[in-house]
Amino acid sequence: HIAEDTSDLLQYVKFQSSNFENILTWDSGLESAPDVVYSVEYKTYGKKEWLAKEGCQRITRKSCNLTTETGNHTEHYYARVTAVSAGGRSATKMTDRFSSMQQTTIKPPDVTCIPKVRSIQMIVHPTSTPIHAEDGHLLTLEDIFQDLFYRLELQVNHTYQMHLGGKQRDYEFIGLSPDTEFLGTITISVPNFFKESAPYVCRVKTLPDRTWT
Amino acid sequence: DGVAVLPAPQNLSVQSTNMKHLLTWSPVIVPGEIIYYFVEYQGEYESLYMSHIWIPSSWCSPTEGPACDITDDITATVPYNLRVRATLGSQTSAWSTLQHPFNRNSTILTPPVMEVTKDGFHLVIKLEDLGPQFEFLVAYWRREPDAKEHVKVVRSRGIPVHLETMEPGAAYCVKVRTFVKAIGRHSPFSQAECVKVQGEALPL
Amino acid sequence: QEFRFGPCRVQGVALQELREAFWTVKDTVQAKDNITSVRLLRKEVLQDVSDAESCYLIRALLKFYLNTVFKNYLDEAADVRIRRSFSTLANNFFVIASKLQPSEDEMFSISESARRRFLLFQRAFKQLDIQAAQTKAFGEVDILLTWMEKFYEF
Repeated sequence: HIAEDTSDLLQYVKFQSSNFENILTWDSGLESAPDVVYSVEYKTYGKKEWLAKEGCQRITRKSCNLTTETGNHTEHYYARVTAVSAGGRSATKMTDRFSSMQQTTIKPPDVTCIPKVRSIQMIVHPTSTPIHAEDGHLLTLEDIFQDLFYRLELQVNHTYQMHLGGKQRDYEFIGLSPDTEFLGTITISVPNFFKESAPYVCRVKTLPDRTWT
Repeated sequence: DGVAVLPAPQNLSVQSTNMKHLLTWSPVIVPGEIIYYFVEYQGEYESLYMSHIWIPSSWCSPTEGPACDITDDITATVPYNLRVRATLGSQTSAWSTLQHPFNRNSTILTPPVMEVTKDGFHLVIKLEDLGPQFEFLVAYWRREPDAKEHVKVVRSRGIPVHLETMEPGAAYCVKVRTFVKAIGRHSPFSQAECVKVQGEALPL
Repeated sequence: QEFRFGPCRVQGVALQELREAFWTVKDTVQAKDNITSVRLLRKEVLQDVSDAESCYLIRALLKFYLNTVFKNYLDEAADVRIRRSFSTLANNFFVIASKLQPSEDEMFSISESARRRFLLFQRAFKQLDIQAAQTKAFGEVDILLTWMEKFYEF
């Protein structure tokens, strides 16, 4: 009995995760597959049962949001997709073992840049995630990654940079020239998981110095 | 294995400076022929628990020159065995093994190169890029009697960075040394360099 | 940067380098483990470990990895990438284990609690065929590293 090659029905079953929003995606090998339907199951590594994901049974789209089902960031998970064509052909493929802590990417932080006469204040706002703590509140990235810190750079007239950084959220670059434009970039860094967000960028101009006018 | 006809490479040794480790040996000469060399390594664990296991070097399996940058292969602070053999077509020499295992904690740490400049009242420093394992401990002080020495850990490498906002008319001096966490050692301090807010850099 | 497992201090090991070493082979190694319904380093082994217990537990786990999991995991045909990552992990685990000196006069209940946790892990390991168990344990190094991070000071 020669196993039928059904790889054209289903390929690249994997998790895409950003700030712990965990989306299962896959592809079909066919140019177009209008008559193929897909069903999703998921499982916690170490548990026996596979569970069907409600809302992703016999669907035609090629993605499924498993954020809630894979919401315990200390657990590892698997997901699998079964594709069935109108002609009755089917294929099932499983993801690699998924750990959101290891695999999620970090989005740029949300920052408020406040120019003053001889300084620029930068306030980093906490980033919440879809992960619930035991008491129900949403965890922030800082809650989850103990080594998370912010890295702030201020480019000064294209020749050098001023650096600030740390775990706190409120920073101020001081000793600046009034009425001058600066470029600020702020990133979130999680060295232990070698994660670094894309930068939040703010271009600001210090206020004119009116003390002598 | 091919029949060992070629002479084995001799005089293996490792030169290590600032956590860059270079394995060198005397070349095997066969007139008119290009000799290729294969380098392999094993850490203390392999040598104790599975001595038959050797790992091909990241950059020198094979290599032409009688030298191999083994920096990416030495990833723990333990003694490493290293061996090299020569090949010419199907001919293969015997393995030559480094006489004394190499441990990266023996690397030579040199005072880092730095450039001290100023921009208005900003004291700016630029440090050479020695790689992610290095931190720079920058000491700076105002040049006056009983001056207090400030110390900052700088991790940014190869780009000019603001160190301090200076007071008008004052002179400031800076010196720096490196620290390597993986081996817990410092380099010596560099020569101090001073700048005056309205003047140019003054050599000591 | 150092590990602080209660009274035990270990310097000279960059946790990030270990994670990077495992990361490069994670999918390859974990794909060889097709027993998805068994997890060796499960919650009962690693959750809520006190500082005092941690030195005993990490020493027992690392010694087990060095003597039983890593020792026969590799053969000469192994993929070069896996051998390189394996070497980085094994030699750094070797450094950590050699520097762990749990105090002798700790309360018996502490060391006993750590021992019970380790036995849970060891028992689960022994219930599997040795090769499958080594493959699974090696595939769970990321779980071990994540737990070790709790005791890592930046």
